[in-house]
Amino acid sequence: MVELVRFMERPDRSAKKHTVGSVNPLALTAMQQTGSMTPQTKGRGSQRFLQGGLSAPITITWEITAACNIACVHCLSASGRRRPRELKTPEALALVDEFAEMQVFQIHFGGGEPFIYPGIWQVLARCTERNLVMCTSTNGTLITADRAKRLKQFDPLYFQVSLDGGTEHTNDRIRGQGVFKRALRGLELLAAENHSLTVNSVLTRYSFAELDRLYDIAASFGSKLRVTRLRPSGRGQDVWADLHPTQEQYREFTGWLTEHPDVLTADSFFHLNAFGNKLAGLDVCGAATATCCICPEGEVYPCAFFQAPEFEAGNLHERPFKEIWQDSLLFDYYRKMGGGACTGCGQYSTCHGGCPATKWFVHQKLSIKDPECVLQG
Amino acid sequence: MPESPVFYRLVAEIKIRRESFGGILYKYGCADRGALSFINSPQLIDLLIASQEQHDSNVSAAIASSRYSEASKKKLYVALADLVKRGYMQTLTSVEG
Repeated sequence: MVELVRFMERPDRSAKKHTVGSVNPLALTAMQQTGSMTPQTKGRGSQRFLQGGLSAPITITWEITAACNIACVHCLSASGRRRPRELKTPEALALVDEFAEMQVFQIHFGGGEPFIYPGIWQVLARCTERNLVMCTSTNGTLITADRAKRLKQFDPLYFQVSLDGGTEHTNDRIRGQGVFKRALRGLELLAAENHSLTVNSVLTRYSFAELDRLYDIAASFGSKLRVTRLRPSGRGQDVWADLHPTQEQYREFTGWLTEHPDVLTADSFFHLNAFGNKLAGLDVCGAATATCCICPEGEVYPCAFFQAPEFEAGNLHERPFKEIWQDSLLFDYYRKMGGGACTGCGQYSTCHGGCPATKWFVHQKLSIKDPECVLQG
Repeated sequence: MPESPVFYRLVAEIKIRRESFGGILYKYGCADRGALSFINSPQLIDLLIASQEQHDSNVSAAIASSRYSEASKKKLYVALADLVKRGYMQTLTSVEG
């Protein structure tokens, strides 16, 4: 949750030149169509601190490999096989050093399956040395008793183990046959070593009815449940229409969250604030301002859900991360986007127009309302 | 019996970073609620960083070693009480400390 402690007036920021990279014409047009492309000095609440971006990300999602031993139908990065230009271990270690020097707080490892990346142990060790907080999203199937024990040497390290249903049937139709049982085994092994765990679950039309069961499964491992929003990126584009929750489910889900205040949401449901009950958590999109995503081949995107080539801010094979974060032309435009069709809406101050990535992947526009806007349809 | 003085200490899971508007407090972990605060006071951020780097996270000790005016101290203590409520800080009495 973002809190604001008012203490003194905020000083003006100095004007800055953004010179890194170029902007894809499609992306540029889409961003320009959202309206205000000039720096806004009077944003509301936490938004005004994020405008222009922070000096460094708070959290970076680092999809360290595209290799994965399972093939979820909704995988937002369309993972499966290792990609040819994936960062090698020495490059990954240098990147960790750069994050530490920039004072990035947390690295969230994803993929692909991070435990397939050959240098993952060295990377986690370097993060520990450099005092970076680590969170690893894993499908849990490659966790062994030995690995669970070895992972205790890294600190602080948190785990998110994915389950996309509270039953074998629902989970495995999305994540693959046999994955439910193997993920539970992974959870069991991690819990046995007292690792800090959350069960991460993408909310779908089919898993909605199993939220209570997912909650109980998480609790049985001493873990919290974390529910995230389905995004139509990667393979998710193919299944989004079938899987994304209905408006009625979203309304019920909002009530369910209120009854389960310990359930985490990855701050990804702020578009539901337009129902009128502000959910706990970040109420604004942090893409390119508080977070970003690094993909296996060094591509830097606004967030993990926005892995569209048109929105690549730069590539680590060509430039240091710090340059891309601070001076990328694409990020500069992205950080100045206006409200588009949501400008003037009475709920804009609570939902901030929803998720730009969802808008882009569904309609190739950013100036429209979120396709799951609760005030339309 | 007189009331014991209260000491402020940052909890262990806090990271702090300066920003142009002041700075950020981040309480880390997977618990993505209650994790982030924007602080638009460079003075407060400097104090908290000094507490971590020089006083073993003891904010009261950092205040005592600095030359704040009474007015500044008053403002700082109001902000510290707020940070206690948000879970970034704990209070200890001299007996506990």
